[in-house]
Amino acid sequence: MEQSKVGVFISDCGKQLSEIIDFDALTNFIKTVPEIALIARGSEFWRGNGLQAIIDAIKSGKINRVVVAESITKISDVNIAQAVQDAGLNPYLVEVIDIKDHCAWPHRAMPREATEKAKAMILSAIERAKLLEPIEKLEFPALKSALVIGAGIAGMQTAVDLADLGFEVNLIEKAPFLGGLSARVGRFFPTDDCAICIQPPASDVKTITHTSRKCVYRSGFSEIPNLNILTNSTVIAVEGVPGNYKVTLETKPRYVIADRCVACDKCVEVCPVETPDEYNANLTNRKAIYMNVPAVHPQVYVIDEDACKFHECAKCVSICPSNAIDLNQKTEQVTLNVGSIVIATGFREFDSSKIKEYHYDEYPDVITNLELARMIDGFGPTGGEIIRPSDGQPAKKIVFIQCAGSRDRRYSPYCSSICCMISLKNASLIKETNPDAEVYICYIDIRTTGREHEYYYERARELGIKFVKGRPTEVYNDEDKGKLIVDVEDALLHRFLDLEADLVVLATALIPAEGTQELAELLGIELEADGFFKEYNSKLRPTETKQRGIFLCGGATFPRDAPNASLHAHSAAMKATKFMTSGKIVKDLRTAEVNDEYCGDCEFCPVTCPYGAISLQPTSEGHFVARVNDLLCEGCGVCVGTCPLNAIELKHSKPNQMTAQMNALLSINGTSKPLVLAFCCQECGHTAVDSSGMAKMEYPANIRIIKVPCAGIVQVNQILEAFKAGAQGVMIVGCKSDGCHYEVGSIKAEKKIDLAKVLLKEYGIEPERLEIFRMVYIEGKQFAEAAKMMTERVTKLSQIKLMGDS
Amino acid sequence: MSNNNSETIENVSFSEEVTCRHGGETLTACYQCGTCASSCPVARLDSRFNPREVIKLALLGEKDELMSGDSIWLCTSCFNCQERCPQNVEIAELIYALRNIAIQAGNSPTIYADFGSALVDEGRIVQISKFVEKKREEYGLPPLKPVNLETINKILHATAFTKPEKKEASQ
Repeated sequence: MEQSKVGVFISDCGKQLSEIIDFDALTNFIKTVPEIALIARGSEFWRGNGLQAIIDAIKSGKINRVVVAESITKISDVNIAQAVQDAGLNPYLVEVIDIKDHCAWPHRAMPREATEKAKAMILSAIERAKLLEPIEKLEFPALKSALVIGAGIAGMQTAVDLADLGFEVNLIEKAPFLGGLSARVGRFFPTDDCAICIQPPASDVKTITHTSRKCVYRSGFSEIPNLNILTNSTVIAVEGVPGNYKVTLETKPRYVIADRCVACDKCVEVCPVETPDEYNANLTNRKAIYMNVPAVHPQVYVIDEDACKFHECAKCVSICPSNAIDLNQKTEQVTLNVGSIVIATGFREFDSSKIKEYHYDEYPDVITNLELARMIDGFGPTGGEIIRPSDGQPAKKIVFIQCAGSRDRRYSPYCSSICCMISLKNASLIKETNPDAEVYICYIDIRTTGREHEYYYERARELGIKFVKGRPTEVYNDEDKGKLIVDVEDALLHRFLDLEADLVVLATALIPAEGTQELAELLGIELEADGFFKEYNSKLRPTETKQRGIFLCGGATFPRDAPNASLHAHSAAMKATKFMTSGKIVKDLRTAEVNDEYCGDCEFCPVTCPYGAISLQPTSEGHFVARVNDLLCEGCGVCVGTCPLNAIELKHSKPNQMTAQMNALLSINGTSKPLVLAFCCQECGHTAVDSSGMAKMEYPANIRIIKVPCAGIVQVNQILEAFKAGAQGVMIVGCKSDGCHYEVGSIKAEKKIDLAKVLLKEYGIEPERLEIFRMVYIEGKQFAEAAKMMTERVTKLSQIKLMGDS
Repeated sequence: MSNNNSETIENVSFSEEVTCRHGGETLTACYQCGTCASSCPVARLDSRFNPREVIKLALLGEKDELMSGDSIWLCTSCFNCQERCPQNVEIAELIYALRNIAIQAGNSPTIYADFGSALVDEGRIVQISKFVEKKREEYGLPPLKPVNLETINKILHATAFTKPEKKEASQ
């Protein structure tokens, strides 16, 4: 390796630091350190002339390692790294430390001690800089094409967005027609407009620009040249890497040739087969060749394979005026190459028959909200009439039961979040067309949290809908009266009601779509405990998954109403665009690497890695070694902390670098107090140190900070080394256990501390010299207090005597 | 009646007193949906008892009202409520826990004190009458075995069972 020539740039932050720290003493000290090629003092080095001085020194070839002692490192880091790269040096050969917030300000009451600590900090940075190695970037091409799975409202909106932005988009739908749940529910709240309205493409091929929303069939959606729509299709295999996936689809035959069908309905008229219409809640029959409702997309009939008699009958074939029917079509497989995948598979109603006491599968007049929506739809099986499915008579008394399966620990423990509004919508639509109907809603809590939703609830009361606060225990069938009886306590009246009903409507729990689990396995992405797809981070990275290149939107992540699904869809399109738009994937390689010689057969790191980035690969010698997927690795080092054989390390935080830093930090004390080393995670722990300094909170100067990527990287032997190197106390400062930026790091660290304490006891070192703290950025005060507490604690103990010490 | 002999927990809310007791653990899961109330055969007939209200009172810490009233003694332990509770609140168990607290505080209906005395003295809650013995014979059931009072008292002793005191106000 090339001899290191370290340039040290120390900033006095506009002379404010030199009032506390003795900069001459500091400079003289640095001069004594080997391999220093340049020492520069200035007011600031993260911008302007100071930054130029760094660039010039690199360009002149005088230095090949950069140490900067500055303030507000979180901002200056980025500027300095960029400048260093522009000057022609690898940006990872830089070490920036904060001598203001981590030294001068918190120790301003003891300038001499602050100066000594500053020496230790700079020495540590220099020793680390000497050992730094260049880190490259991973770069490979990404295809500018996407696959959107599921053509409900979310999938369609994402597809339009991506197509508008110029990507090649493949939109696939499992059903023979587009629209998903949104097509079946008929109307949307709170505006009561048609569910199947979408925002049409921004730039129309025919130079007509649509601005108002349109029904899918007239939106021009299907005519977007770079949007390929495939119905009756599912994903059966996925290979490849983010940016270049090879997806195999299976498309079931429609038996009707789309390019020829003229939607004349003649085939439907002659078809002799009648079969229950599942789409319409089995309330009516349809033919074996059919369209769900007239205004669907595509405007092409489909043949129901299970019902059709095919060549035995073939009446449709002979009557079709355009020769569109082909009974010999076969299932086809297609392979697509796409850069990214968006999952928009939605949600469905839970199987209400599991709630035995509501007798959903026994009493035909107990139905679900979705089934009711089909009745309300003018295109539906009853032409908009609300009937009792048992006898077809008009339903005059209708009782809704909320939370049928939701907020229920036996079925779906979560609130499905939109069922209150769905029931209010359906109840209001009934009341509006049929004011004489008696409508009750039995509820636990009415949740109307969206814009206009409370108004919607108000209107429902104005319409005369009656509300009963209570969850019914059972639905009975009173055969004499020919009515259902809903047994409920109205908690507000303290009264037991037996509500008579022609129709009982269950606001069923809303659960992940069928096949969610299988699709997750196929794509290698995670699910939440409730079975929905897991978003990377609901606050900062919604619609993303841990697999770069795979995105989520709509009800696939949680039950959503249309405005939310739409919002989510646009977000997913934005994320996919960000990912594909440059045509390449760039990822820095601050990742883990495995030393094959030491690695052997255990499964600790693949199991621990929160990103699924590590897998075991067979070697030619008949055992397994760990392999890191650089694209998935986030460089946290939890694997490093887990490996029992020290066979895995981070390129940007190697054990020798950490040891050198540690030794340097502990080589100078300069205070009357015993030294305490604090391993601070670069996320919450280190920023809590920042914020305590920024807020000028004071703590003793014997506290030495070593920044690590995550608390989870710290190894037990490193803790022991720290004591050996002279630390009298060791602090681990990480994120809160449920707020760890790398998910499991903080929890893993805690377990390791427990183990280390046992070992310390064995070695005759008091276990209380070691402690873990968890805090967030705003808890600077907690850091200062923890630092004081640890100092007091170890001051009371006598100096550690290690074996071999005289 | 004072609480002198019972283990009163200082500075702990009543709902915590209930949740740390066996059977009372699930109290705070209740969100007052009322499924228990509409499931309850007693509540329909007797307005003094409503399982939803018992839980609400426990959550609100209305200890005196629960301990002195009749309500918790009216549950027949049919378990309908517990079977249907969407939050898995163990309602019937919870009512046992409340009864235990009440008995420790010396609040129990006379009949329970009588049961307790009978158990200690005779090894049975209810005396077996000649009528019962005759009926058993008629139905082909074997005669009841004599009670081993010594064994029963050993069990009662090991489980710290003492004769419940009679509630003074009760009849």
